[in-house]
Amino acid sequence: MSASYLARRLLAMVYTLLVVSIIVFGVTQILPADAATVIMGENATPEQLAALRDRLGLNDLGVVQYLRWLSGVLTGEFGASMRTGQPVLPTILEALSRSLTLAALSIALMLVVALPLGILAATKRGGPVDVLFGLVSYVGVSLPEFVTATLVILLLADWLQLLPATGYVPLTDNLWVGLRHLALPVLTISIILIAHVSRMVRSEMVDALHSDYVRAARLKGLSENRVVYVHALRNALLPTITIVALDVGYVLGGIIVVEEIFAIPGLGRQLIVSIQARDLPMIQAGAVVLASTYAVMNLVADFGYALLDKRIQYG
Amino acid sequence: MAEVLRRLVRTPQGAIGLAIIALVLIAVLFGPWLAPRDPFAISPLQRYRPPGPVNFLGTDHLGRDLLSRVLHGASATVAMAIIATLAGTLAGSLIGTGSAYLGGRVDELMMRTVDAVMAIPSLLMSLLVVSMLGRSATNAVIAIAIAFTPGMARISRSVALAVRKQDYVSAAIARGEGAGFVILREMLPNALAPIIVEMTIRFAFSVMLFSTLSFLGLGAQPPTPEWGLMVSEARRFMHLSSWMILWPCISIALVAVGFNLLGDGLRDALNPRT
Amino acid sequence: MATEANVLSVEGYTLDYVTRAGPIRALDSVDLRIARGEVVGLVGESGSGKTSLAWAIMRALASNAVELAGSLKLSGQDLRQLGPGAVRAIRGRRIGMIFQDPSASLNPTMTLGAQITEALVAHMGLRTKAAREAGKQLFAKVGLSDPAAIMRRYPHEASGGEKQRVVIATAFACRPELILFDEPTTALDVITARQILDLLRDLQAETAVASLYISHDLAVVSRIAQRVAVIHRGRIVDEGSVPNVFTAPSDSYTRALLDAVPKPERRLVSSTVTMSEKRLVEVRGLTVRYGRPQFFGKSLGTAGARDVSFDLAPGEILGIVGESGSGKSTLARALTGLAPFTGTLLVGGREIASIADMDSAYRRTVQIVFQHPDASLNPRQRIGDILARPFALYGRAGTQPIRSAVRDMLEAVQLPPDYVDRFPHQLSGGEKQRVAIARAFAAGPALVICDEVTSSLDVSVQAAVIDLLVELRRETGTAYLFISHDINLVRQIAHRIIVMHRGELVEAISADDLAARGPSHPYTARLIAAVPTLLAA
Repeated sequence: MSASYLARRLLAMVYTLLVVSIIVFGVTQILPADAATVIMGENATPEQLAALRDRLGLNDLGVVQYLRWLSGVLTGEFGASMRTGQPVLPTILEALSRSLTLAALSIALMLVVALPLGILAATKRGGPVDVLFGLVSYVGVSLPEFVTATLVILLLADWLQLLPATGYVPLTDNLWVGLRHLALPVLTISIILIAHVSRMVRSEMVDALHSDYVRAARLKGLSENRVVYVHALRNALLPTITIVALDVGYVLGGIIVVEEIFAIPGLGRQLIVSIQARDLPMIQAGAVVLASTYAVMNLVADFGYALLDKRIQYG
Repeated sequence: MAEVLRRLVRTPQGAIGLAIIALVLIAVLFGPWLAPRDPFAISPLQRYRPPGPVNFLGTDHLGRDLLSRVLHGASATVAMAIIATLAGTLAGSLIGTGSAYLGGRVDELMMRTVDAVMAIPSLLMSLLVVSMLGRSATNAVIAIAIAFTPGMARISRSVALAVRKQDYVSAAIARGEGAGFVILREMLPNALAPIIVEMTIRFAFSVMLFSTLSFLGLGAQPPTPEWGLMVSEARRFMHLSSWMILWPCISIALVAVGFNLLGDGLRDALNPRT
Repeated sequence: MATEANVLSVEGYTLDYVTRAGPIRALDSVDLRIARGEVVGLVGESGSGKTSLAWAIMRALASNAVELAGSLKLSGQDLRQLGPGAVRAIRGRRIGMIFQDPSASLNPTMTLGAQITEALVAHMGLRTKAAREAGKQLFAKVGLSDPAAIMRRYPHEASGGEKQRVVIATAFACRPELILFDEPTTALDVITARQILDLLRDLQAETAVASLYISHDLAVVSRIAQRVAVIHRGRIVDEGSVPNVFTAPSDSYTRALLDAVPKPERRLVSSTVTMSEKRLVEVRGLTVRYGRPQFFGKSLGTAGARDVSFDLAPGEILGIVGESGSGKSTLARALTGLAPFTGTLLVGGREIASIADMDSAYRRTVQIVFQHPDASLNPRQRIGDILARPFALYGRAGTQPIRSAVRDMLEAVQLPPDYVDRFPHQLSGGEKQRVAIARAFAAGPALVICDEVTSSLDVSVQAAVIDLLVELRRETGTAYLFISHDINLVRQIAHRIIVMHRGELVEAISADDLAARGPSHPYTARLIAAVPTLLAA
């Protein structure tokens, strides 16, 4: 992988972040006919609206507003929350760290379960294990997060009373209790991730196991273990990495719903609260941070893929 | 068309998917007539009933018949989701095939932009659009259509490029056929199939997304019996009646599974070589 | 003779495949024997069952295969009785296999060295370090220069010939009793193929391994095998020593097969065409460049064809010979407006400066037929619609309704008229190619460019399509630009030949002169020397 590829990829990411910022800003501040009314509601007096417009600089041209905002963002100044008056950035970052904890735990659980599951289903293709896997995972990818969350709560919190349904305790305060509260949300996200990724792993493994080079390896007289775990697995894992990277993006989206249902004070919940309160600076900052995290994850995945896939010449 | 249907029911996915979606479409179109009771009729004495001879699926926290609400909800949930997907597919296909046809730097710039837009997760994008336009089912549809457009653009572009490389397209160009003929008669019939398959699977995703938006209070508004909204309302009363929350969940899952299966079945049925 | 003397003994072997349409007989009472040190060729076209026999011997048949009768014995041991563990022990160790496409049989994510090392570790009981050493030496033995470097390379970093040598080294490494060769040179360039073939001969002679050499190419088989069996629709129709079978075949199918093999001596057209002043095509200094400038990257400029010049008389057949990457297909694409070019092009006296000049009249005059029958016909259009299009486009049907013009065209290419309602996937490869040819001729062209039109077809089908092309030319006086990598075929059909190498035109010579005086350019000489020729008929 050469320096020019690195440069090109970074340039592309900068472009991505730029477009993201334009879209977020455009949708939240430019798109509504009058952002002031959106923020204050229908009952505000004309004087209140005019004052707000002045304060936010809404009377200027869209492009000017955007550039003003952008210059602020680049210097780390995201403004202050309209709801609490607190500076936006520290709140967002703290919320992000909680979301990332949730995401990391979910992805860790997913990796531990989805990879062996997918491999198993592929090696036992067509058998009862595979058919069952197919049915269950099919349903798994067809459930929206709130449905999965609801079912998980119904089963584990209400009927079986095993784990708490809502509430958040920081892990740094009390690890065990904190984990207990995170268990259900992590489980919810993991279930959907596991369904997606294990299907992908199975599909890639099946392709690999049917490939010509695996057939040639078998005809070389190598043991089945070696064929599956050395020859097939290597080739199946490569595309899986891309999917895992894409799923990080999915998690970041689905996390919004999960945090809302389980009352986890992460970035998703923060966004919902901000949206309901019409807290413009918070919404803008939250959306940009969320999307940027996704873009960075994509970049990392691309680099990882490029390092591992010898076939692709990145010149 | 009849040929496609015949091939479709030959596979288990196709047959089951078609059956489920057929049932769903019946519910969408004729739900209001099939519903035994008024979905909005409040009946305080009949609250939290489990399934029984009077209310086949039970009643909710206001005593409303769940079966009727679910049937009415079909059009609220599914029809909206279908419209959103169709709009997103149309817009995305035009952008994608146009980009593929133009090629060169225009194509690359457009695709980089599409990639950038896709950096915003669909749910987030929909949330932003709806929160700014106002909470309603219509705005949710618009939001989802916008969220889907870049993904469909990417797919239709890659399909268009793959078809463009085939020798029969080269043969047509070598014959001196005009651009219109090449695109419409040679490329499109072969490009349409993968796009239709992808769109069918997106119906499933759209139903999930629309119901999620309604769940969050940003889509359909009460007292519409939209399924996501029903789940959201039922959450508070989960301990009093599990049925209120289960039936809409099952409905959503059923529709999503049905569209996924149908999409898989169509993938095989539309392949001219099998 | 005791059966143990035969390394491979196949007796009365019968195999069916169970499909939705019923059982298909793949092999019917097949008898075959290979003794130690012997090379037996198995010759057949696609669908003959030759590959199924290889799978059967390796015990790697598809799940819908049913073995109905017969035995397969390796040095007297019945292979059909073996359990999975025993089969695994035999594979690689006692029976080796070399496949057609080395890119497909090597794992793309493992180094070449690792792939031979694992075989040595598994079968020869060596430790990894010793196995790696042994692998390196084997690489040297099969003619790979710098074996140490190749050990570290991945498959995509090696050429086709290098990869095949690696596969060969791996197969011979475990010193098996029997090696199955499944078309090992078919995917390679002519010159590389010849080198590999010679390598195989040397190795086989040195190790005295019993060999089954499967191929559709009789000439190749005649060069390496001592005995040959001809298989047709699952039955062995002819068997014996190579000289006997190829000079005095007992079966009509074998005879037809031998006839179909292109022989330069058997000319299909009269020798010369008078070069009138009115040239049909004049090309001067034609250059085609590939690659386009990228948004953030540098432009790739590999010359597809450089500075090519030649003439073509009306009704003449000009053969263009070259290996892959020689630029011959690029030339075809330039002449049909599929690739931009620079240079001078005159067709029928008209100057064509660029693609913009290629108007309807030009398109009518210059038509093209592509290599892959599957890809050149739109899978969603019926044959009737495909053929109707040129008539509608060029208005060539005249007073005839298009439908009957289409039927006439089908008749001209010897296809039944009821094919108009069929879809391409319902036709065989040869039939599809005929449709593609019909489509080209429907325009009434003066020139038809044939871009490797028979390369994807079986030998006998190829011969039939070539005959069709010759016949159509006789009827219409059309000129051909006949592109192929098979120099024997080109020498059969062309009046004049040009040879391309790495984008440059290296030789232009008439077929007669080539036969009489031989080639003037060393590359042409290497090409001719590399192609195996059948024993004198």
